[in-house]
Amino acid sequence: MRESDRKPLRTANQNRSRRRTPARGTARRTPPERSQNRRPPARNTSRASPSRRPEPDRVYRPPQWEQRPSGRSRHRFVQDGGVRGTNSKRAVFWRTLTLMIVCGALFFVPLFWKLWDIAILHHEDYQRQATGQQTLDLSVRASRGNIYDRSGNVLAMSATVYRLILSPRDLAKDLAPDSAFTDEDGKLDKTAQEAALAQAQDKLIQDLMTLLPDLDREKLETSVHATQYAYRELKTGIEEEEADRIRPYIVEHETSHYLYLLADTKRYYPYASLAAQTLGFVNANGGAVGIEAAYDDVLEGTAGRVLTTKTGAGTQLYNNYSEYIDAINGYDLHLTIDATIQAYAERTLEKGIEAYDVQNGAFCLVANPNTGAILAIASSPDFDPNHYSEVINQQLLAEMDSKANDIYQKLQNNNPENLTQEELLKKAQSQAYSNAVNTQWRSKAIDSRYEPGSTFKALVLAAALEENLVTESDTFSCSGSVTVPGYPKAINCSKRSGHGLQDLTKAVGNSCNPAFIEIGKRLGIDTFYDYLEAFGLTEKTGIDLPGEASVTGAIWPRDKMNNVDLAVGSFGQRLEVTPLQMISAFSAVINGGNLMQPYVVQSISTKDGTVVKNTEPTVVRQVISKETSRRATDILEKVVSEGTGGNAYQAGYRIGGKTGSSQTRETDRTIVSFMGFAPADDPQVIVLLAYDKPQPVEPNSNYIANGTYISGGMMAARQAGPLIADILDYLGVEKKYSSGESAAVDVSTPNVKGQTVQDAGDTLADKNLKYRTVGEGDAVTNQIPAAGSSVPGGSTVVLYLGSAVPEKTGTVPNVVGLTYDNARKKLEEAGFFMRASGVSDYYGNSTTAESQTIPGGTETSIGTVVGVQFFNVVQDGAVDVR
Amino acid sequence: MARKAKRDLTMEEQLARGPIDLPFLMLVLLLTGIGLIMMFSASYASAYYDSSVSTPLFYIRRQSEYALLGLFVMFAVSRFNYQYLRALVIPMLAVSIFLLVLVLTPLGVEINDAQRWLKLLIVAGPTYQPSEIAKVAVVLFFAARLSKRDTEHIKRFSKRSWLGRRLNWLQKIGFLELVPYGVVLLAVLGLVVLEPHMSGTILIMVGAASVLFVAGIHLGWFFGVGSLAVAAVVFIIRSKPYMLSRVELWLNPWKDPTDKGFQTIQSLLAIGSGGLLGRGLGKSIQKILYIPEPENDFVFAIVVEELGFLGAGLVLLLFSMLILRGYWLALHARDKFGTLTVVGLITLLAVQVFLNIGVVTNLIPNTGISLPFFSFGGTALIIHLAEMGVILSVSRQIPAARKD
Repeated sequence: MRESDRKPLRTANQNRSRRRTPARGTARRTPPERSQNRRPPARNTSRASPSRRPEPDRVYRPPQWEQRPSGRSRHRFVQDGGVRGTNSKRAVFWRTLTLMIVCGALFFVPLFWKLWDIAILHHEDYQRQATGQQTLDLSVRASRGNIYDRSGNVLAMSATVYRLILSPRDLAKDLAPDSAFTDEDGKLDKTAQEAALAQAQDKLIQDLMTLLPDLDREKLETSVHATQYAYRELKTGIEEEEADRIRPYIVEHETSHYLYLLADTKRYYPYASLAAQTLGFVNANGGAVGIEAAYDDVLEGTAGRVLTTKTGAGTQLYNNYSEYIDAINGYDLHLTIDATIQAYAERTLEKGIEAYDVQNGAFCLVANPNTGAILAIASSPDFDPNHYSEVINQQLLAEMDSKANDIYQKLQNNNPENLTQEELLKKAQSQAYSNAVNTQWRSKAIDSRYEPGSTFKALVLAAALEENLVTESDTFSCSGSVTVPGYPKAINCSKRSGHGLQDLTKAVGNSCNPAFIEIGKRLGIDTFYDYLEAFGLTEKTGIDLPGEASVTGAIWPRDKMNNVDLAVGSFGQRLEVTPLQMISAFSAVINGGNLMQPYVVQSISTKDGTVVKNTEPTVVRQVISKETSRRATDILEKVVSEGTGGNAYQAGYRIGGKTGSSQTRETDRTIVSFMGFAPADDPQVIVLLAYDKPQPVEPNSNYIANGTYISGGMMAARQAGPLIADILDYLGVEKKYSSGESAAVDVSTPNVKGQTVQDAGDTLADKNLKYRTVGEGDAVTNQIPAAGSSVPGGSTVVLYLGSAVPEKTGTVPNVVGLTYDNARKKLEEAGFFMRASGVSDYYGNSTTAESQTIPGGTETSIGTVVGVQFFNVVQDGAVDVR
Repeated sequence: MARKAKRDLTMEEQLARGPIDLPFLMLVLLLTGIGLIMMFSASYASAYYDSSVSTPLFYIRRQSEYALLGLFVMFAVSRFNYQYLRALVIPMLAVSIFLLVLVLTPLGVEINDAQRWLKLLIVAGPTYQPSEIAKVAVVLFFAARLSKRDTEHIKRFSKRSWLGRRLNWLQKIGFLELVPYGVVLLAVLGLVVLEPHMSGTILIMVGAASVLFVAGIHLGWFFGVGSLAVAAVVFIIRSKPYMLSRVELWLNPWKDPTDKGFQTIQSLLAIGSGGLLGRGLGKSIQKILYIPEPENDFVFAIVVEELGFLGAGLVLLLFSMLILRGYWLALHARDKFGTLTVVGLITLLAVQVFLNIGVVTNLIPNTGISLPFFSFGGTALIIHLAEMGVILSVSRQIPAARKD
């Protein structure tokens, strides 16, 4: 078997060696196709295919296995089928050529086509997309403009603050990375990793607590351990100084990857709540309330842009592709508001609210009547724009709680969403809170309306004078009430017993309603309405502050106005105006007749001080003549010096004004107000001060708990007087004393010791001092007060004669409730001197001492000057015209 | 060993000292040079922004070292008489199969869920892919064995036995002669698929097929196996939803622009923003953390972005010329072994270039094949240059044109 197997193989070998003979010798190992390969290659490829060339070696032979050798043993399973032959030569060539064309050329056709399609045909489309994702459009914040007051004090400014950001996730990744806890086999040592992380976190917490001791440790721990988050604000509003402490830590510990500072701007209001509603505040969307909102586009400036290339990770790439557009900083505003006057006004509001148990807040407007420039707008309750969402007013807080309770009760009765008690309470609280903040953000002087009450009489007076319907010599009779056709009951005067017969000045001074009903009648509906329009009460003032209350529904339309409207309108009831409209109209009465447009922004300037826009006073129209204005002003001055405004009197300043007590639609809510101006001969300042709802001691009572009568004259005027005096003092308006006043001005006591009584009396008389003697003798041995003391003029000096020796000390008597003369007498008898204040030298029987600087019963040295505050009891309360 | 004088050489030895093919060498050197420059440009940014890499020159340093080493290897291989490879292929194949098995053991290095790498010294040293070696081993083995095909003795079986008749039929249709190739191929592919390594599988298949094709295997087999493969691919795509989504992503990468389609879109944006002349060398922006790993498979996108359609076209032209010259050398090789070897190696290169640029331009779905001479990868570069060395070695033995 084996033997026979080999036999055909041998035959094959012989066959093979025969075929190999041409390549004998050196090419022992060369395969048979070598002979072909020796032909010149060039011919091989370029010309005809090699198979076509007849060559002895390459004659086609059928595959050998087809030619079966005969005589093969039948039992053999495997036989030699011969070799495959040489025809594959051609196939090798053609197939290689095919591959060459496919791989070397055809492959590149779609690639070139694709490249052409993407890089050339769709170049712009892809380019745009690429630029879109590669461009970093950074906005450069413009610095918001500052707000200054009239004298250049900064009321609002912007500063850079920082936020401290932690990425707890990156902290874990950086300080306890997987790679550091993976051994060679790729096994992660979780326990060790967690331990390392915990240690790193503890260290960070420790460091941060040392660095920023005011951080809440619990909160910080929660933040640091929240490893699934990449952004946690640890602290906001970090100021430069604190940031300077944090920065070195970040650098030193290389934490910038997970702990870093982000710059932010913050608005500062250095005077805190001063003029809060006027200034407003800035929230995330820009100016939200007040000037910040009204002048938002002026203040905010234009943000700049940096167009630069960014990396795929979003970070900025510094290269020459950058384009910078500078930010334009916001303009600065210079207000007509004066911080000092504003502070006076706010203090006055506070004092009055406390003194009169005022429930509904208060407002105060101070303006320059000649230009319309607003010097102060105060509104209570107020807030701190630095923390504008906090309610700070105690009254408002208390009210918020009680309102929340009310809302809670209401919600309980009507609970369609089936909320739990807790949710209801929360809802009620949030509603009450939002009411409260909305209340504190409002500027009552601008965005609310009220019935001006008797202050309005000044306008009626001016109109009637201008129309020559009344003169100063006209007399009006008041019986305490008057009936008006169309009105069911009699309309009362504030003095129920009636003022009797009075001239015009007295009628205004008494704030007599029947007199003004008469004047209104003389004017008639049409003329009355003409003046309403002329005084700008039927249109918005156009002040450059947002939120001016709408005039819709404030005043009856001309064609609907009837006699009753005219009658009650004549003393300022049943018509509503904003405090701002009222002060503008009143200013027109006293400033020579011009209605001025009120404004708060005096000028707009760039940061370097270049004034971009300056507000010139704008005359809206001349309402009354100069002469009428002067006459009206004279009459109004008498209101203070002799009438219901007497409590606003301040010695040395000629203050004019008009009180007002307005009934409202709410029971027991009276708005008491006073419109005052000074100096009367050349008004520099006009003040409207009002308190909303002094709490009556009991329903329907005209008195509050401490017994003060609820009226403008008794409340607002008493607060307005000192306010006006402070403002005039601050503005540097010189005091001018009338003869009566100068008599009471302090004088320095001369030395009369050793003089005779006669001589001493003369010396003292020169100084406008009186004297009385104690003891016997010719020569003055002692005097009280001592020489050089300052006592009010007209005081009585005590001269001691002979051996009489003055007491060292004495007990100050209580003079509260006494009239002027009695109080003075009582004090001087006790060896003290009285310095009166509060009311004019027109001391009637209704003038009583309100308080004294040294309380009665105090032991003090003889000769001390005791200040006594007087007030006039005036009857100018609100009347019921509902 | 002293160099023998020319007269002492056998003809065989004389042939082996013939001149190497200069055009081919020049093309290889050009592409290696351009490849290095472009890889440097593409890798600079990603190295710069990578905190785990000490210097922006990290990639280019390593690649240059490997390139130098590779050129030396190419030179050495080109001096080596390739005829000896006939004897070396069996051990080569054995070693590569051994390494392929080794890579599946815990000694293999796993990256991104694929265990494809081995360390050069098994436990240490730079990593390399045994499949790269297997690729060459398979091609050489096929070439060596198929070069003997014409003189191979065909076995015939007894017609009397039923088995014999069946075997004879199989022999007649040419199945039996394919069996050893099939066994080797399936063994190698099986091991590579286990890694898994799809691109390696494709390349080994293509390399083997090209050698079989040129060796004269009946075209029917290619059609048969080809249609089977197409059917299998269609079946896999139909049955596996993730494959389907891959195809959908290929047709419209904007379906998932931030995740799966991201790389493709970034590549298209790079190419698209290149335009005709490009941004200029080194000025690509897409390489700055946009295209993931721009120094690897997507280096060509950076080439287009920086050099534009013209520059990239030139690179393609160089590749085309290299491939054409390679086939030209195959056609003129001294013997069938040389022809088949060169065809196998150059087809591998051509297909790799096609697949890579096809992926970069989104002509075909992503397969993860690097661009020869351009993509970062030291051992791959060395192996490529070694392959070029083999081709140059074959070119040495091309007989000079007869001077008539």
